[in-house]
Amino acid sequence: MRISVPHMGNTYIAFKALFKRLDIDYIVPPKTSQRTLSLGVKYSPEGLCLPFKLTLGNLIEAAELGADTLIMPAGYGICRLGYYAKIQEQVLADLGFRNAEIVEVGVTEHKLTGLLTTIKRLANDAPWPRIIAAFRFGILKLYAMDRIEQLVQKVRPVEKVRGGANRLYADAIKAIDAADDARSLKLAEADYTARLNAVERDLAHQPLLVGVTGEFYVLLEPFSSFDVESELGKLGVEVRRRLFVSGWTRFSWFNWFRVSEAARIHQAAYPYLKRDIGGDGWESVGEKVLHAGEYDGIIHLAPFTCMPEIIAQNIMPTTKEKIPVLTILCDEQIAKTGVLTRLEAFVDLLERKRRTRSAESTAVGS
Amino acid sequence: MKVGIPRALLYYQYYPLWRTYFEELGVEVVVSPPTTQAMLAQGSARVVAETCLPAKLFLGHVLALAGKCDSVFIPVVRSMKSKVYNCSKFLGLPDMTRAAIPESPPVIDVEIDINKGEGKVYQAIYELGRNFTSSARRIRRAYRAGWRAFDEYRARMAREQLTPPEALGEGRPRPAGKAPARSTIALIGHPYLLYDEYVSHRLISRLERAGCRVVTPEMVSAEQLDGAVERLVGRAYWSYEEEVVGAGGHYLAGGVDGVIGIMAFGCGPDSLMMDVVRRQAARARGALFMGLTLEEHTAEAGVVTRLEAFVDMLQRKKEAPAARCA
Repeated sequence: MRISVPHMGNTYIAFKALFKRLDIDYIVPPKTSQRTLSLGVKYSPEGLCLPFKLTLGNLIEAAELGADTLIMPAGYGICRLGYYAKIQEQVLADLGFRNAEIVEVGVTEHKLTGLLTTIKRLANDAPWPRIIAAFRFGILKLYAMDRIEQLVQKVRPVEKVRGGANRLYADAIKAIDAADDARSLKLAEADYTARLNAVERDLAHQPLLVGVTGEFYVLLEPFSSFDVESELGKLGVEVRRRLFVSGWTRFSWFNWFRVSEAARIHQAAYPYLKRDIGGDGWESVGEKVLHAGEYDGIIHLAPFTCMPEIIAQNIMPTTKEKIPVLTILCDEQIAKTGVLTRLEAFVDLLERKRRTRSAESTAVGS
Repeated sequence: MKVGIPRALLYYQYYPLWRTYFEELGVEVVVSPPTTQAMLAQGSARVVAETCLPAKLFLGHVLALAGKCDSVFIPVVRSMKSKVYNCSKFLGLPDMTRAAIPESPPVIDVEIDINKGEGKVYQAIYELGRNFTSSARRIRRAYRAGWRAFDEYRARMAREQLTPPEALGEGRPRPAGKAPARSTIALIGHPYLLYDEYVSHRLISRLERAGCRVVTPEMVSAEQLDGAVERLVGRAYWSYEEEVVGAGGHYLAGGVDGVIGIMAFGCGPDSLMMDVVRRQAARARGALFMGLTLEEHTAEAGVVTRLEAFVDMLQRKKEAPAARCA
């Protein structure tokens, strides 16, 4: 049995750690590339969204390498995601990968227990303590990567020489990947945290603060949006994002943690959108309302034809809390120059807004 | 007191239920007129371009009701069966309407989610009724009468082989006693596309004029539809999956010459469900299948050409073996 899981950001590192500890043969799908996208587009029904196409591309490329057990998230009452696995299994079968079996992992019910039972089954019924230890190690890696990423988000806009933070980030991910036990993981994280903190900063630069929100897959898979966050960093803008893989695991697997932030976001959205509409539409509206006073602007990322985000997009302009929002729809037609031009224009707009605001406040002061 | 009901989305499924319920409560029901080009254009102008056709159409119908009623009834049907949920657009509909159409009459929304228990469903419907009457008994009576009307409506369509507009007494009477049909074509898809004469370009009457017999998902019993869903995908994921996967699986298994799948551009559930039907058609090699995607810009001539080609193809397939013999 050779297992594979489609990519989403750096999650493969956590899976690698988990499966290695359990001696499960795990195949990392080739890094998401233009080929992945082309394969996904070619074999997807035309009306589907980018996350489907990219994950399908990953699954095909993994199957080409001999993976026969493919793990896909599933569930119900979410959005199209819950139906992905059914179709992807048929696509793979029609392509001739007769041995490839898709294992659905529910993200709506059983959550943590469902995932752990699946892992236990894949690990040939290894004893529970071993499963839990391996799982914990994978999660630790996720947390370490997310903490590093949060730091990178802060360093990128203020570094003196552009690109340094990104290079360190890539190295840090490699070091975390290489760590074999909790101790070396801790050391790697501490090492790169120190190095990132030591990056020479432009102290005079006051970065604009932009929130990135929207659908979780396009947010967490930089390939789908040409790494918008990194591009914003190059423009000297600090990026904030609520959604991290580790946060998401807490959110939907360890349900008892979800009290604080999600509830606050839903409460903020309530006057404009009263209920969960599947996907992340409710959260997108809520984040706009909640952070209108705090951020300078919001970038809203959504896959093309994503209904929950379309509803959010229709509702967002009508909220009382005003803040500029730029929606970027991601699909295979998106072009890098197009995205960059729009980002630059958006950042210009935010800067001008900030200048007029500060001019007004000095005028009031004098 | 007048309640407006947009002639879009769930109208074709539940109108008899809602009308009976409201009328039992002494409320007058106003339905928006059949779709026109202007209604669709006005609805589309209120939302971002990516919004799906049925949602744009729905907003056009709400606009047509502005000024004609005291409130608009927009139910949120989250789930009608255990663990089978509905598309996002139905869940966000009341809020999207409020945001996109500020001049809309006040929106009455009620959330139907069977997963929370039947008691909760009744409670939601009870609270809806409290807007109009204080008598709990009257609400209960209206609720029962509504469901009776609904069951009767569904049963009648399956029994008498009627489409929803025919059962609602809106459709033109079908030409009776004519020569036997050249071929039988099943239309599968959501009622809000199939029976909206404007967006579907009068698909049904066109096919009938071409000498075809048209059958629709409503003409199959619920048990048969559910059975077909189970055969094709195991367990239904979407509410109304039976209208697409169920009806598609049922008709592809026999009884018709061709199946036409109607879907709207940008429809999330349909993009997956229609693919299941298409793959099944390719595997079964029985009835022929054609997918037809509708959107605001679909040109009538394009639709007509494809229908003609499809009907001709069915005809040729029927005649081919005979021709070979001769």
